[in-house]
Amino acid sequence: MNSSSVEAATRAIPVTVLTGFLGSGKTTLLQRLLQSPKLARTVVLINELGEIGLDHLLVERVDESLVLLQSGCICCSIRDDLKTALRELLSRRERGEIPEFDRVVIETTGIADPGPILYTLLGEPVVRHHFQSGNVVTTVDAVNASLHLSRNPEGVKQVAAADWLVITKTDLADPAQVTAVRDELGRINPSAGTLDALHDQIDPDSLLAPGRFESKPHLAMQATAGGYLGELRRHSDQVASLSIALDEPLDWTAFGIWLSMLLNRHGDNVLRVKGILQVQGMATPVFINAVQHIVHPPQHLERWPTADHRSRIVFITRGIDHARLRRSLAAFSNARVTDESAA
Amino acid sequence: MCGLCGVFLTETHWADANIAAGGSAARTRRHERLHRVALANRVLKHYGFSVRDWQGSAYLLRGQTGQTAVVPSIAAVWPAAEQLRKRMLDPLDEALIEALERGE
Repeated sequence: MNSSSVEAATRAIPVTVLTGFLGSGKTTLLQRLLQSPKLARTVVLINELGEIGLDHLLVERVDESLVLLQSGCICCSIRDDLKTALRELLSRRERGEIPEFDRVVIETTGIADPGPILYTLLGEPVVRHHFQSGNVVTTVDAVNASLHLSRNPEGVKQVAAADWLVITKTDLADPAQVTAVRDELGRINPSAGTLDALHDQIDPDSLLAPGRFESKPHLAMQATAGGYLGELRRHSDQVASLSIALDEPLDWTAFGIWLSMLLNRHGDNVLRVKGILQVQGMATPVFINAVQHIVHPPQHLERWPTADHRSRIVFITRGIDHARLRRSLAAFSNARVTDESAA
Repeated sequence: MCGLCGVFLTETHWADANIAAGGSAARTRRHERLHRVALANRVLKHYGFSVRDWQGSAYLLRGQTGQTAVVPSIAAVWPAAEQLRKRMLDPLDEALIEALERGE
């Protein structure tokens, strides 16, 4: 990164994506977050006007519209509405029509694919100069999680793209149901932090802080979860996560060749790649984050988050043989790759 | 940025970024490109292709029958080769993995 791009990255306004199915509590969570003085200078872009009104200074409505690129790749489509809304925010701020703001939160529709939103933030030339992609926060309703995962393919994509999963309505669900939902979400996306909207403290700082990496081992499924877990699993059994570790520093060039080739051929079924890498020649880690074909610029972190300095990567895939994925990475990078998925 | 679309979201594609620049064992940009070309050729030879650096700013992809394509990033090599060869280049291909494991 040269000095001008470092400067641009420093002043770029973070954009948090808040997604989740209709009725899963997105607006309630947003309302709660906006009570924090830390979010006083936040602009909220919403796709649909829900029943819950937002008492906030800056709420803008956008109408979902996609501009499909010639390739026909859905995840790499520009969200025209979002592009226009973000550019308009900059113009209005320059004209003094709206106050200064230091964060944007986009509340998506229930059936939104997070891919085009992230692509717009990373790919649209004006937008990417002024804004930077922040965390994806996905709400999951504990009562209707099974319905949500089964009815729309975007449900699994929203869970896979999440940096934070917030389980809502846990007071209305049976405790076994809540356990099953938590287990299933952990199985699909072990790289995301999981919060219970009712019982956990929702701290805007940690929810919105970028560059977070977690790799939870798969939990042994709780016996109490019973049949509900089976019901959940039926809707997402093709989706699985793989957590790997590499003991030796990674050759970034070999990794880039492998990952670019993998995403070219299997990007539709590689729902997420998130990891922290120990790269040859680097004392500090490199954070990588990809949602389907869309790869965020690799990010140098100042320090290792834990005492474990190995490269650790989580893959969320659909219908891909994980043993072969692991062997492929090992063969390309000439490194030993350990499966760390099991607890 | 997007290997499927061939659309570039930043001036330097992430797969072409010299991530270790500034590190004590950092390679020079030229050394890095040569290393990238050598690693890509290890894979491409299984499909009858080779690639070479093109003036430090692009890559020249060449097939055994003389087909060529100039691509701006290493990630753009894969869709370009698939288009020329009308065959998928799959890193999960068992034959390719076995060949790489044998050091070929």
